[in-house]
Amino acid sequence: MAQEGVESGLTWEVRANSRHYHKPKQKNSFMCFRWGRYADNLVRSYKYSPLTFLPLTLFEQFQRVANLYFLLMVVLQCVPVISSIPWYISIIPLFTVLSIRALKDLVNDMARRRSDSWINSRPCDVLISQSFNTAQWKDLFVGDVLRIRKDQVIPADLLLLCSSEPHSLCYVETADIDGETNLKYRQALSATHNELTSHPSEEALAAFDGVVLCEEPNNRLHTFRGQLHWRGECLLLDNEHILLRGTVLRNTEFAYGLTIYTGADTKILRSCGKVRMKITRMEKVFNKVVIGIVVSVLMTALLLAIGSGVFSAWLMNDLGVMSVLVVDSNPVYTGFLVYWSYIILLSPAMPIILYITFEVIHTVHSQFIGSDLEMYWQPADKPAQARNTSLSEELGQVGYLLSDKTGTLTQNHLLFRQCCIAGEIYGDASVRAEDTEPMDLSWNPFSRGGLYMSAPSLVKKLRGQECPLSRQFLTAMSLCHTVMAEWKNEAPVYQAASPDEEALVCAARELGWVFLSRTRDFIVVSELGVTRQYQLLALLDFTSQRRRMSVLVREPEGGLKLYCKGADIVILERLQKDFPYLERSETALELFSQACLRTLCVAVRSVPEASWEQWSKILAQSAAMATCERDALLEKLYDQMERELQLLGVTAIEDRLQEGVPETIALLQQAGLKIWVLTGDKKETAVNIGYSCKLLDSDTRLLEWQELRQILQSPDPVVSFFKGRQTELWAVDKGRTEGKTAIVLTGPELAEFDQRPDWGTTFMSLAAGCQSVLCCRVTPGQKAEIVTLVRKHTNSVTMSIGDGANDVNMIKTAHVGVGIAGVEGGQAVQNADFALSQFRFLQRLLLVHGRWSYRRISIFLRYFLFKTCGFALVHIWFGFLNGFSAQTLYENWFIALYTVFYTSTPIMLLAFFEQDVSSESSLRWPELYKIGQRQELSSPLLLSLSLLHAVYASLIFFFIPCGVFYNTAFDYQTMAVTVSMAATFTAIIEDHPQQQTF
Amino acid sequence: MGKAKVKSGPLARRPDNSAFKQQRLPAWSPMLTANTVLPFFYFMALICMLLGVWLLLTVQSTQEMKLDYTEAGSCNLCYIKRQNASNAAQSCTCSVMFSIQKAFKGDVFFYYGLKNFHQNLRRYMDSRDDGQMVGRKRNLKNPSSYCQPFDKDQTGVPIAPCGAVANSIFNDSFTLSYHQPGSYRVRIPLLRRGITWYTDENVKFRNPKTENLTLAEVFKDTARPLYWQKPVYELDPDDPTNNGFINEDLIIWMREAAFPNFKKLYGVLNRADEVFAKGLPAGNYTIDINYNFPVQYFRGRKEVVLTTLTWFGGQNHFLPVAYLVTSSLILLLAVVLTVIWWKFGKAGKNMQE
Repeated sequence: MAQEGVESGLTWEVRANSRHYHKPKQKNSFMCFRWGRYADNLVRSYKYSPLTFLPLTLFEQFQRVANLYFLLMVVLQCVPVISSIPWYISIIPLFTVLSIRALKDLVNDMARRRSDSWINSRPCDVLISQSFNTAQWKDLFVGDVLRIRKDQVIPADLLLLCSSEPHSLCYVETADIDGETNLKYRQALSATHNELTSHPSEEALAAFDGVVLCEEPNNRLHTFRGQLHWRGECLLLDNEHILLRGTVLRNTEFAYGLTIYTGADTKILRSCGKVRMKITRMEKVFNKVVIGIVVSVLMTALLLAIGSGVFSAWLMNDLGVMSVLVVDSNPVYTGFLVYWSYIILLSPAMPIILYITFEVIHTVHSQFIGSDLEMYWQPADKPAQARNTSLSEELGQVGYLLSDKTGTLTQNHLLFRQCCIAGEIYGDASVRAEDTEPMDLSWNPFSRGGLYMSAPSLVKKLRGQECPLSRQFLTAMSLCHTVMAEWKNEAPVYQAASPDEEALVCAARELGWVFLSRTRDFIVVSELGVTRQYQLLALLDFTSQRRRMSVLVREPEGGLKLYCKGADIVILERLQKDFPYLERSETALELFSQACLRTLCVAVRSVPEASWEQWSKILAQSAAMATCERDALLEKLYDQMERELQLLGVTAIEDRLQEGVPETIALLQQAGLKIWVLTGDKKETAVNIGYSCKLLDSDTRLLEWQELRQILQSPDPVVSFFKGRQTELWAVDKGRTEGKTAIVLTGPELAEFDQRPDWGTTFMSLAAGCQSVLCCRVTPGQKAEIVTLVRKHTNSVTMSIGDGANDVNMIKTAHVGVGIAGVEGGQAVQNADFALSQFRFLQRLLLVHGRWSYRRISIFLRYFLFKTCGFALVHIWFGFLNGFSAQTLYENWFIALYTVFYTSTPIMLLAFFEQDVSSESSLRWPELYKIGQRQELSSPLLLSLSLLHAVYASLIFFFIPCGVFYNTAFDYQTMAVTVSMAATFTAIIEDHPQQQTF
Repeated sequence: MGKAKVKSGPLARRPDNSAFKQQRLPAWSPMLTANTVLPFFYFMALICMLLGVWLLLTVQSTQEMKLDYTEAGSCNLCYIKRQNASNAAQSCTCSVMFSIQKAFKGDVFFYYGLKNFHQNLRRYMDSRDDGQMVGRKRNLKNPSSYCQPFDKDQTGVPIAPCGAVANSIFNDSFTLSYHQPGSYRVRIPLLRRGITWYTDENVKFRNPKTENLTLAEVFKDTARPLYWQKPVYELDPDDPTNNGFINEDLIIWMREAAFPNFKKLYGVLNRADEVFAKGLPAGNYTIDINYNFPVQYFRGRKEVVLTTLTWFGGQNHFLPVAYLVTSSLILLLAVVLTVIWWKFGKAGKNMQE
C-alpha cells in the first residue's frame, strides 16, 4: 500500500485512531537536532527560550555594525598600553544600549508566548476509546478523530468523515484563510458518510481504521490530493473533503473529521510567511554611514600613527626624559600602538547612543500616532495603534501602497440602493444612504430595516398588484440565489455565500417577498403574506466565466419558470428580441454604473414542459460523465436553458466605500503614491470599486492581460506601451494630452510571472507609468509575491494595508504593514505594524505623522553626525600639536557623558516635536510628501554636508582656543574645558537653526 | 497611558485631547526674510567689531618684555655645558642684561617660558601618580605603574614624586636685579608663594601626614627623581612650609601645558619695596640665572617674560584680531546679500507661497 503511495507521490501516511503508530514519529527537537515526521499541534511564534535568550539577542544586536564596533573598542581599551581613555567610558553606553534592547525583545517575546499559549489551550473534542473527551489543541495528534461543533474553529487540517447534516454536507467559513466571508460547503465521501452515520457515531468512528495516503504538507490552500484506503477500497480524496485549520464550522451541528496535518504541517501555517525583522531604510542609511565613519576613522588613525612614528623617531635622536617614553625605544612599535589608541580616541565619532535615542524617538512617535484624536474611531472605541514602534519614519517615504479591497476600501457591507423595473427607476443613489427617507414598511411583519431605498411608488404598485413585472422581479430576487435561511427568534436570518446575494434577498424581504426557507428540493417564500412553495428543479450555479446564475422552479400553480440574474452583458445578449423596455433599461444601467453601483440584470423565462423534460434527461446523463467532458456539456446545457429571456429589471447595489476613501486615495495619489489594489474578488467588482473610489477615472483605459502580454513580449515594451497608449488616445480623445491607463490582472495570469522572471522589471516600469494596478482573484501567497515584486524592482518603500487573514502575508512582506481593525477578525492587525480603524486615517498616518517622523528623524540623524564627528575630530587637530601621541583633549567623563547627557535633550525635544508645517498644511499640500519618497532629507549629499559642517566646527573648536592659549600660561586643563564647552554649546545652539518650531 | 486605563465606559480608549498628545504645543517659527536677516547680519558685524576693538585696546594697554636666554650673553657657556649630560651635576650660573624703555605699571608677573617642549604627550602626561601627590602613603611606597620607568630607581627604591613629569621639572632659578640710575644694583623682590591655583595648593597636592616626624623622615625610604639635584623635601631651603609635594614650583610644573610652547609663572613683583611700588621703572636690569635645565635635546628654547596683566590676560592679539576678521567677513557677506536682495529679491516673489 505504501509502495503504491510512493509512486504517485502520496507519501504522507495517516492511520485513523492509532496514536500508538504516530506518537513515536512525532517531531521533536533538542538544541539544533530535529527528528520525527509528524508535527505536534503547538503554535510557536516566540523566538527565545530562557536558555537561548541571551545568546540569540546578543547575536541579533551584534549584527549591528556600531554595536560590534563598540565591543571591539571596549576590548581594545582593556589593553593598558593602548587605552587612551579608560575602558568604562565606552562600556557604559554599550551596556545601556544592549540591555535596553534586550529588555524590549524580552517583553515582546513574553507577549507572543502568552498569545501562543492562549491558542494552544483552546478546547476541542477528541475521540479517545469510544467517547469524545475535551482536550486542548496542543494535545492533538495526527490520526485523531475529532468532533467539531457549530461555530467552532477547526484546530487542524481534517478529513471530513461525516456530519450531522444530510449527505454529510457541512459549511465552513474561510474568512481567516482567504478573507472571504461567505460560507463554503464541504462534503464527506459517500462511503464514509454511509458507513459512519448509520451506527451510533462514537462506536463507528472508533472502529474506523482507514488509512489516508496523501501529499506531504504544503502551502497550497486550495488543492489536496490523497487516497483513503478502507475496507479494501481505495477512494480518491480532494479539496472538497478537507476542513482546514483556522476555518470555522457554520450551520452544521457536528462534523467529524480525521486529523491529517497538525501544527506546523497545516496548510495555513505553511502558507504563513516567515517572520522577518523589518529594517527601515533610515537604518540602512545609518549603517552605511557607520561603515563610512569606521573606514575613515581607520584611515585617519593610520595617518596619525605614521605621524606618531615619525615624531617618536625624532625624539629618539635625543637623549633626555622624553625619549624614554618611546615604547621599547622603537618608533615603529610606538606608531603601531598609537594607531590603536587613536582608533579608541576617535570612536566617539561613531554615535552608538544613536540607536537608543532612535528607539526612544520612535516610541514617542508611535505614542503620538496612538494618541491622535483624528485617527480615533469613536464607534468602535479604537485609537490608531503603532504595533511596531520602529517604523514610524518609514511612513514618510512610502512610494507604493498595496491595498486589499474588501473591508479595507469598502465597508464590506452591501446596500440595495436602486432598481429599474420595466424601464422605471426607483430609488435615488445621489443621496447618501443614511439620508434616504425611510419608507413606511409597517405592513410587513418581516421587515427588519436596512433598506436604504425610498420608492413608495414601487411599494404601492407591488401592494396594489398593479404591475406584474415588478412582482415577478421581486419573486426572482427572492428565489434566484444560494442564500440559506436560519430561523432565529421567529425570523429568518440569512447566510449568504456572497454579500451581494444577501443584500438582494434582504431587499426583497423588506419589500414583502420574504425568503423563508430552503430545503433540497423546495424554496418557501412569503409573497406579501401569502406563503408559496416553489419546487426547485435545477440550480444553474454561478461561475466567473458564466457570470450569471439561474434557478429553474415549478410554481405552485404548476408552471415552470427560469429566473436568471447576472452581469448586464451576458443577460442582455440572451434577451428576447423586441423587448419594449430595453432601451430605458440600458440607460438605467449606465446611470447606475456612473453612480458606482454594482448592477445585476434580472430576467425570467417561462420554460415549456417538454423542453424541460428533454433538458433534464441530458442533465441526468451528464452526472455519470468524467469531469472535464461534463463541464463542457453543462456549459452547453445551461446555455440552452438561459436564452429567450425576458428582462425584468436591473438591481443596483452599493458596495459602500468606507467614509472618505475616494478623498484619501486622491490625496495620496497627489502625494505621489502609487496605489495598487490586490483582491481575491472578481475582476468586475474590483474594477467597479476602482471607479467608485476614484482610483480609476471614467476615461481610464484598462490594460488587460492579453494586451499586456503582447506588450511584454514585444522587443521594446515601454515604447510599444506608450505608443499604444497614444494612438488609442488619439482615436478616443484628441483633447486630452495625458494618458491614463490602469493594468488589470488576475491571479492565474500573475502566476505566469513565475516562469518569466525577466518580465518583472518591464512590468514594473510599465506600472510606474500607469495610474494604478488592480490584481484580482489573487491568493494570499500571490499578494505577498506582488509585494515582493514591487520591492525587488523599485527602491521605494512599500506599504500593504488589509484587514483579513488573507492579507497577513502581504502585510508581513511589505516594508510597512497596516491592518484595518475591521469586521474580519484580528489576524491582520496581529501581524501588522500599524493598526487603523478606517482607511481614511491613512492620509493622516502617512502625510502628517509619516512626514513629520521622517523629517524629524533625518534632521536628528544629520545633527547627530555633526555633533559626534565635530566632537571627535578635534583630536586629529590636537594630534598635530602633541606629537600624535593620542592624547585626549577632554576629561574622560566628559567623553562618556557628552552625547548621553550634555547635548541629548535639545535634539531629543526637536526629534519629538519638530513640525515644519502644521498637520493641516501637510494635508492641504500633499506634494510635500514627495520629499520623503525621494529621500531628500537623508541623501548622501546632505549627510556629507553635515560631515563637512562637523569638520569645520571641529576646526573652530580647536584652533580658536589654540590661538588664544598658545604660548601662554594657560594649562592643558583650561584648554580641555574650553574646547569641551565650545563643543557642548555649539551642539546645543546648532540644534536651533535646524528646528523651525518650538 | 496609565491614566487611560483608569477610565471606563464606551470611550475608554479615547486619547486625551491635550496639546501635548495632539502635537499642538505652542511653537515659535521664525520666518526668515530679508528684512529680518540683513539687519541681523549688520548687527552681528557691528557687535564683533566693537568687541574686537575693545579687546585690542585692552591688549595694547599691557606691557611685555620677552627675553630668550638660551644662548644669550654669558649663558652661552652654560648652554654648551648642558649639551653634555655628564655635566648635569655641575652647577652653572650666568647673567643676562636687558633694559626696559617704559615703566611697567601695576603688578608685574614673571614667567619662564619653554618652546618645543611637549608636555602634552600622552605617555608623558600619564606618567605621574596623583595618588602620591595627594599624600597617600601607599602610593608613596608603591608608585602607580603609570610612572614607569620613573617609578623606582635602579636599586628598587620608590621615587617620590614619581613619573616623567616630575622628573623633568624646570629647575632654572632666577634672580632679577635693577640698576638703579647712578647707584647700585637692587635685587628685585619676587613673591614666590601664592602663585598656584587654590585647589592645587590645598586639595590636589598634599604632603603625606607627618605625625610628629619631619618631612625628611616621612620621605625616608624614597629616592629623589633621577634628574633632580635635591630631594623633594628640600626644594625650598628658605621656606620650610614650601617643601615636599606642596612646593609651588613643583605644583606649577605638574599642571601640564596644552601646547609645546608655553609659559609658567615664576613669581610676582613684590611692590612693598618703595622703588617698585608703582611697578618696574624704566632702566637696565640683569637676570642672574642658575642654568640647569637642558633644552638642546628637544631643540627647545628658554625665555623669561615680564608682563603686566589686564582682566583679559597678557599680550595676546589673537582673539581681538579674530573678532575683527569675523566682523569684516560678516559685513562682507551682509553687503553681498544686500546687493543680491536689492537687485533680485526685493519684490519678495520667492517668499510668497
